[in-house]
Amino acid sequence: MNSSAAATALLMEVQHDTHYRYAAPVSLAHHLAHLQPLQDEHQALLAFDLDIDPAPEAHAGHPHPELHAPPQPLQGEGGQPAQRFFSLMQPHRHLRVRASSRVRVAPRFAALQPAQSPAWDALAASLRFSASAPYQPAVQFAYPSPFVPRLQALRSYAQPSFDAGLPVVQGALALMQRIHRDFTYEADSTSIDTPLQQVLQQRRGVCQDFAHLMIGALRMLGLPARYVSGYLLTQPPEGGPALLGADATHAWVQLWCPGTPGVPAAGSGAGWLDLDPTNNRVPGAGHVRLAQGRDFGDVTPLHGVIRGGGRHTLAVGVSTRVLSAG
Amino acid sequence: MPQSPAPPRALTVSTSDTAALLQAHALPSDPAAWDELRAPGGDFRPAWATFAGLLPAVASSKALVHELDQRRAQVQQRIRLDGVTHNVYVDAPAAASGTADAGAATPATPNAARPWSLELLPLIIEAGDWAHICAGVLQRAALLERVLVDLAGPQQLLHRGLLPPALVLRHPGWLRPLQGHRPPGGQHLYVVAFDIARGVDGRWWLAAQRTQGPSGLGYMLHNRLVVAQQFPQAFQQLRVQRIASAYRQLLSTLEQQAAVVAGSSTPRVVLLTPGPYSETYFEHAYLARYLGVPLVEGGDLTVRGERLYMKTVEGLEPVHGVLRRLDDDWCDPLELRADSTLGVPGLLQACRAGTVVLANALGSGFLESPAVQAYLPAAAQHFFGQPLLMPAMPTWWCGDAPAWAQVRGALADKVMRSTYPRGGRAPADHSHPELAVQEDADAWTVQARVAMSRAPIWGDGALRPRPAMVRVYAIADGQGGWQVMPGGMTRVAPRDDGSVSMQRGGTSLDTWVITDGPLDTYSMLPQRLQADELARRRRPVSSRTGENLFWLGRYTERTEQVVRLARATLAMLHTGVPAPVRQALSTLALRSGLVPLGVPTLVQSATLFERSLLAGLADATAAQGACSIAYNLAALERSAQSLRDRLSPEHWGLVRSMGSGFRAALAHAADALPTATQVLPALDHLGLQLAAVTGMQTDRMTRDHGWRLLTVGRLIERLQGVAVRLEVFVHAETVQKSALGSVTGVELLVDLLDSLITFRARYQRHEDLLALADLLVLDETNPRSLAGVLRRLRMEIDKLPGPRASLLELRALLPANGTGLSLQQLQGAEDQAVAAQLLALAQQLVGRAGELADRLGGHYFTPAHGLDQRV
Repeated sequence: MNSSAAATALLMEVQHDTHYRYAAPVSLAHHLAHLQPLQDEHQALLAFDLDIDPAPEAHAGHPHPELHAPPQPLQGEGGQPAQRFFSLMQPHRHLRVRASSRVRVAPRFAALQPAQSPAWDALAASLRFSASAPYQPAVQFAYPSPFVPRLQALRSYAQPSFDAGLPVVQGALALMQRIHRDFTYEADSTSIDTPLQQVLQQRRGVCQDFAHLMIGALRMLGLPARYVSGYLLTQPPEGGPALLGADATHAWVQLWCPGTPGVPAAGSGAGWLDLDPTNNRVPGAGHVRLAQGRDFGDVTPLHGVIRGGGRHTLAVGVSTRVLSAG
Repeated sequence: MPQSPAPPRALTVSTSDTAALLQAHALPSDPAAWDELRAPGGDFRPAWATFAGLLPAVASSKALVHELDQRRAQVQQRIRLDGVTHNVYVDAPAAASGTADAGAATPATPNAARPWSLELLPLIIEAGDWAHICAGVLQRAALLERVLVDLAGPQQLLHRGLLPPALVLRHPGWLRPLQGHRPPGGQHLYVVAFDIARGVDGRWWLAAQRTQGPSGLGYMLHNRLVVAQQFPQAFQQLRVQRIASAYRQLLSTLEQQAAVVAGSSTPRVVLLTPGPYSETYFEHAYLARYLGVPLVEGGDLTVRGERLYMKTVEGLEPVHGVLRRLDDDWCDPLELRADSTLGVPGLLQACRAGTVVLANALGSGFLESPAVQAYLPAAAQHFFGQPLLMPAMPTWWCGDAPAWAQVRGALADKVMRSTYPRGGRAPADHSHPELAVQEDADAWTVQARVAMSRAPIWGDGALRPRPAMVRVYAIADGQGGWQVMPGGMTRVAPRDDGSVSMQRGGTSLDTWVITDGPLDTYSMLPQRLQADELARRRRPVSSRTGENLFWLGRYTERTEQVVRLARATLAMLHTGVPAPVRQALSTLALRSGLVPLGVPTLVQSATLFERSLLAGLADATAAQGACSIAYNLAALERSAQSLRDRLSPEHWGLVRSMGSGFRAALAHAADALPTATQVLPALDHLGLQLAAVTGMQTDRMTRDHGWRLLTVGRLIERLQGVAVRLEVFVHAETVQKSALGSVTGVELLVDLLDSLITFRARYQRHEDLLALADLLVLDETNPRSLAGVLRRLRMEIDKLPGPRASLLELRALLPANGTGLSLQQLQGAEDQAVAAQLLALAQQLVGRAGELADRLGGHYFTPAHGLDQRV
C-alpha cells in the first residue's frame, strides 16, 4: 500500500466543467447537481461558484431558502449532500455547467493504526437489530442500494481478507489491495449502467466500479460502507506518480470503523475511514470530497431529465491546481 | 348534511317461504372458518334472514333459482354495459395473496381488459361488528400517520429500538431525497386501505395495509350502484350505510390543504393515473368523473419553477393538490426511478418547496411491508399508551434473531413473505426457508395464516361459501382525525383455498354495513354552488385530452367516410360501371386505406381488387398493409379509451361494441374471406352505429374547448374527405373522360358525400357540372359541401382558446369567405374550365386541411418529438 500522497494540508482550486450538446432543441430541462464540495473539520470550502449557461430560470438549493425549513439530518450523520436543483425553460441546444471551488484539505488519517481497529465480526454483530441495542445511523450504509445489490459472489470475494476476529481496517486494507491487484483500470470499459455482477466477472472497470465493488463486498459482511464522489489532485505534489482518475471526477469508499485510532472520533465524519481502491491508498489531502451517499445514484455530480434534445454529447473536464501547501 | 331520522326498529326476522327455500340451497361451509351466512345452529344470521325474507315471493325452488340467476345475469350485463373493466397482466406480479394491487404499472406488459367481476349478493356486516372494525381501523390509521411524522422528525422509533432500521432505511419505499421533509400541513396520509379478514373466532384480523395509492374506491362505488339496485327493499330495510360522504370527505380534506398551499379558496386538484394500461384504470376515470376532478397522466403535468402545472389547451394551469394513483417510485424520473415515463420530472422539488399537496404524500411505501406489523403493537404502546384494538396476522421478521428463532421450527402453517417489494424480479423461492434466511434474513418475514371467513356467493343454483377479505378505507379529516368509510371492497377467492386477488380470478362483493344509528343520505350531487365554485368545476381540458378528442372527431368522421366508400364500392363491383368510375373508386380505396399499395385496380382486375378489399376490412392491425375499417375502429377506440372520464358510458360502450361487433360479424374461416352477404349488412349496421356516435358527439357533449377540438377534428377530416373525393372524380384530361362523365359517376359522388336526396329533389336528373358544383362545393347550407364545411370550421376556429393573432393565423389557411369560388365565376364557362377550377380548389384544400391539422397540433397538443429523456 502506498502511503497517503499529501501529508500536509493543501489549498487547491478545482474547476469542473460539464458540457452537454444537443442535436435538437431542448424545450424544458430539470437538473440536479451535487457539485459543491462538502465542508467539515478537515475540508474547508473557501469559495464556490456554479456558473450555468444558459442561465436557469429556476434555481434552488437544498433546502429551499424561503419556502421550507431545513431538513432534519439523520442524527449523527453529516447531513445531506449539498444539492442544487435548476430548471431551464427556454429552448436551448447546449448546457454548460462550471463548478469552481477553492478548498483547503487537511490530511485525516496520518496516524491510522489499523491493528487497533475493532474486530470486523464484532462490529458487524453490533449492528444487527436487537430491541435493546442502541440505534446506530451508520447501519443504513450496510444495506444494499440500487447500484450495489446484494451478491453472494461479493461475499465470497471478500471473505479471504477477513479472518475471524481480524481488525476491520486490516481486513479492508487487504481487500482494497486485492481489488487493486485483481481488477484492471480501463477507461470507458464500463458505463454507469454496467451491473456490478458484470464488473465482477470481467475484472475491469473504472473508479466507480471499484468503489461499488468494494462497498458491496464490505456490506455483504455486514459492514457499513459508503460512496464518496470527489476530485483527485491532477499533479501530485513532490513529483509523485500521477494517480488514476484525475482527469474526471473520482470516486472512492468510506468504511465505518468507529474507535479506530487515527480515524476522526468526533465531528460529521466521525468513524469513517476513506479508502481508494482505484489507487490502493488511504486518501490524504489530495482527495477533495464532493458528497457521500449509498452509491453513485445518491450523489451523481450532474444529471437531468430533458424534453426533446434528440441525441446528445457530453464532455466532462476537471482540472485541479495546488495554490499552496501546508 | 341531510340525515334521515332513524325509523322505529321494527324489523321482524322473517321466515318466509322464500327464505326457507334459499336456506335449502346453501352449501355447507368449512367448519374451520367463520360462516358469514349462518350461525352455528345452521340458521341464517339475523341480517341474512331479513335479507332473504325480503326477496320476492317465489312458488318453488326452481323459481327461486331462476329469479337469482336472472339477477346475477343483470349484474353482469350492467357491468358490460357500463364498461367496467380491469386490466389483467399476462405475467401478473407475484402479489401477495390477499392483495389486489399489482404494484406499479408496467406498461410494456401485454394485457387484456377483462370485465370486472362482481357477485350478486353483498357481504353484510352487522352494526356491532362494524363498530369493532371502525375502532381498530381508526386507531391503526392514526398510528401510521404518527409513525410517519416520527420518522420525518425525531425518529424515536429507531432510537428506542421499537422499529428495526432495516425496515425503514433499507426499504426502497423510504425515499432518501425526501428525508426529513414534512408535507404541507404535516399531513402524510389522506387515505389508507386495510385488508381485513374474519377469523374462526369471529374477530377481524388485519392482513395488509396500503398507503401509496390504494385501489378499489372506484370499483366499490360502482359495486354499490349495481347491487343495491338489485335488492332495493333489503337495502332500505337493513339500513345500509351510504358511502358517498366519505368520498366528499377525502376530496375536501385534500382541497383544504391544497387551498392553504394555493393561498386561494379554489385550489386545483387533479387525479393522477399511470394511464390506460394500469390495472385499475377504469376506476381512475370513474373516480375522477365522480369527484369532478380532471384525470391526468404524468405527461399532462409539468414542473416550472418548483411549481406543478397542468398542460391545458388554454396554457399552463397551476395544480395544488394531487390525488395520486401512481406508486411513489414512478412519480419523478429525476430523483426516483429513472426509467419511469409515468411521472413528472421535478415533482420532488415541488414537494420539497411545499407548493403542492400529494395525497398520499410520497415516502410511505415502507409501511406496506408485512414485517412492519410485528412492530406496530410496540409503536402503539409508545405513542398512544394503548394496545392495538385490531390484531394483525401474527408476524415474525426474520432479521430479528429472537423472532426467527421462535418461529423457524414451525413454518408449516405459515407463509414466507418478502419483506421488501421484489420489483419485477423472479417470485421468491419459499422452498428452502432456512437457506433463504441464512442468505439474507432481513429480506424475509413469516406470517401466520388466519382462515378467512366464508361469504356466500350465488352460482350454479346454490349459495356457495367463499373465503372473503374486506378492504376498508380510513379517510383523514385534516384536523388530526380519521373516519372509516362505511363499506368496503370485498374480494372472494374463486375456490375454497384460493387467493382473493382479482388478478388471479378473485371476484368482488358489494359490502353492506348496517347501522342502527341515523342514515347519512348525503349525495355527491352538489346542492347549491357558489359562483367561484362553478368556475372551478369547469374542468380544464388537458393538452392530451384535447388531442384525444381531436382524434376522436377525426377517426369518427374518417370511419364514416370509409364505411360509405366500402359500401358503394362493394355494391358496384359486379355491375357495368364505366371505366373512369372504376378507376376513381380504385384511387379512393387506395387513398382511404381500404386496399394496400400495389393491388390491381378495379379496371385491371375486379376479382383481385375485391379479394384485397374484403381481406382488409376486419384487419385491425393493418397487418396486410390496408388501414381499413377495423383499423380505424381500433384507432377510434384507443382515442376514446383515454377519454373515459369525459365520455358517457353509452358513448364509450357504443364505441367499444362497434369494434367488437364488426369483427364478430366478419368472422370467417382462416383461409377464406368474409362474403359480401356478411359484409354489406355489417357495413349498414356500422353506418347506423356511427350515426349514433356522431349524434352523441354533436348533441350530447358539453361544448367546452375539448368539444370544440373534437368538432374541429371532425370538420378537418370532412374537408379533406370531400376535397379528395372531388379531386379524384374531376381529375382527367376532359370531363367526358372523368368519373363525372357518366350519370353513374355523378350519382356515386353525390352519394359518397351523402347528398343524394337533396340532389334529386333540387335538380331532378340534371347531371350537369354546375348543378354538382352548386350542391357539393358552393352551397353553405349543405353540411357536406366544401362551403358548408369551411363555414363551420371558421366558426369553430374562432371560438378556440388562445390569442386572437394565433387564431387568425389558423384562419388564414382557409378561404376568407365561402370557398373562394362563386357561381358567377363558374356560370357560362365551358365544362372543362369549370372542372379545372374545381380541381384546383380541391387540391388546394386537401393540402390546407393537412396543414391546419399540423398547426393545431403544434399549438394545442404535446409535440410528438418532445419525449423526455434522462441525461
